[in-house]
Amino acid sequence: MAQLSFGAVTLNPLHVLEDGLREILTATTGLARYRLERALAGVVVGASLALSGYLIQTTTRNPLGDPYLLGISSGALFAVVLTFALPASAITLFVVRPFVALAGGIIAYLLTLLIASKAGMTPTSIVLSGVAVGTFFYSASLFPQYFILRDIHKVFAWSMGSLVVVNISKPIAIAFALTVCTLYSCVSRNVLNALSISDDFVRDLGRDPSRERVILTAMAAILASFCVAYFGVIGFVGLASPHFARRLLGSGDARYIIPLSLVFGASMLSLTDVVAKTVFYPIEVPVNVIVSLVGAPTLAAIMVGMRRYAKG
Amino acid sequence: MLRVENLSVAYGGVNVIRGVSFELRPSLVALIGPNGSGKTTLLKAIAGMIPYSGEVFIGSTNLRSVHAGERTKYVTYIPSTISALPDMTIGDLLLSDNSADVALLERYVRIFGVENLLFRRIWEVSSGELERALLARGLARHAKVLLVDEPLSYTDVKYQLVIMRCLRRLANEGKVVIVASNQLNPLLNYVDHVLALKDGKLFINASLGAGVDEGKLSELYGVKMKVIVVNNTVDVVPVDETLSED
Repeated sequence: MAQLSFGAVTLNPLHVLEDGLREILTATTGLARYRLERALAGVVVGASLALSGYLIQTTTRNPLGDPYLLGISSGALFAVVLTFALPASAITLFVVRPFVALAGGIIAYLLTLLIASKAGMTPTSIVLSGVAVGTFFYSASLFPQYFILRDIHKVFAWSMGSLVVVNISKPIAIAFALTVCTLYSCVSRNVLNALSISDDFVRDLGRDPSRERVILTAMAAILASFCVAYFGVIGFVGLASPHFARRLLGSGDARYIIPLSLVFGASMLSLTDVVAKTVFYPIEVPVNVIVSLVGAPTLAAIMVGMRRYAKG
Repeated sequence: MLRVENLSVAYGGVNVIRGVSFELRPSLVALIGPNGSGKTTLLKAIAGMIPYSGEVFIGSTNLRSVHAGERTKYVTYIPSTISALPDMTIGDLLLSDNSADVALLERYVRIFGVENLLFRRIWEVSSGELERALLARGLARHAKVLLVDEPLSYTDVKYQLVIMRCLRRLANEGKVVIVASNQLNPLLNYVDHVLALKDGKLFINASLGAGVDEGKLSELYGVKMKVIVVNNTVDVVPVDETLSED
């Protein structure tokens, strides 16, 4: 994990320009420290979304799977919108809101899980119940938004995602969750490989595919909920990182895809965050906008390019 | 060596397999029956992949007493279709089985002609090629009982014979090999024994030494079946009586 983080951090040109890693790490004041925290956030959030996306794509066998497929972002959005009814104090902003968003995301996931389990816990049932729950919460969040027009730009800004770090404990909490989930995924690599091919193969391993789906989607949901709660909705990284990894390797084997997806997710978000905060200086563009604007054509180019390459 | 006692399977209150019992020595066995008669369900139950009532013994071992992760050493179910995540390759498919004997896997990959497909994505290959890859993967375990589901449905005639010869040899080496298929030719030319399911019940349980019973087969499929023998090769063909009416 440490190796990965430093690898991705050193990819961040802002820090390469600094007088070396040690100085940054020992910096206690001002800009350097703030940037370090923000870089750390980029790395852990990018990697978490990538792992989450990989887990969702594998458990649902759906190449369009992303961390928000389970209704998490809509659940969190709905919960956050509700917090605008509270008095706008610092506590509301920095303590209540992330906690409520986390709870909203996890409740949405549990609801998706409940519906899916009643419907057999198959890949299709997970996708459909996730879409149902997501649509419901999204629409539900529009009601209060309509009546709190004066704050609508705040909801809007929140839903766009930003890596601004106000508290170092947030990226550290995500890093902890990420480490646990990465370790479990590595231990479960055989199950993940079997799940991405056929439930029969999972049964061959002596495991129950439905149960494995519950555990693995729960991990994806927790990672994504943390990211949404602390940094807003950052799309595309989770969808694209596993695809980048698979296309590059020409294989879908979990042993290679998990580490490579983590690196791609971390680098993608770190690099685009640098773009987001510099290109339109002094205005900071939401990182979500940049990552999608840059990432989507890249994914398209890679898909077309690899196809041509494969044909020889 | 394989003993199935009063095996039943219910899906959502409906009995799909109803009290099936049989005992088989090491041999090559055809499992036939109309669509929906329960062939796949029976095989999956014997493989311990779905809940069942009744008992399954391999040798003197009751499969219920075998740890789930160890079951493929006794019995392995080989599917003919999968619904994989796109971008998984045939190589990923073959290597996803950590209980496989790699040397054996390489041998079957060559026998079934899938060695040039390893870097192709699963959705890029034909159904017949996928079927052969799945077979190579499944046979590369040292299971005593092999349950092969529809291995002949999509494969071309050459590989149908390659597959049947290969399964025949495995049966001669002392395994119980059950092949679920309705491709009576070439199936019936290779097997020792026929099991037939009709509406979840065992309808035929007979050694093939006595020849093929036209009447029973006609009753099984609900159409008139005729046995034709050409150059010692048996074929059973359905006779469409409406074609000869005019």
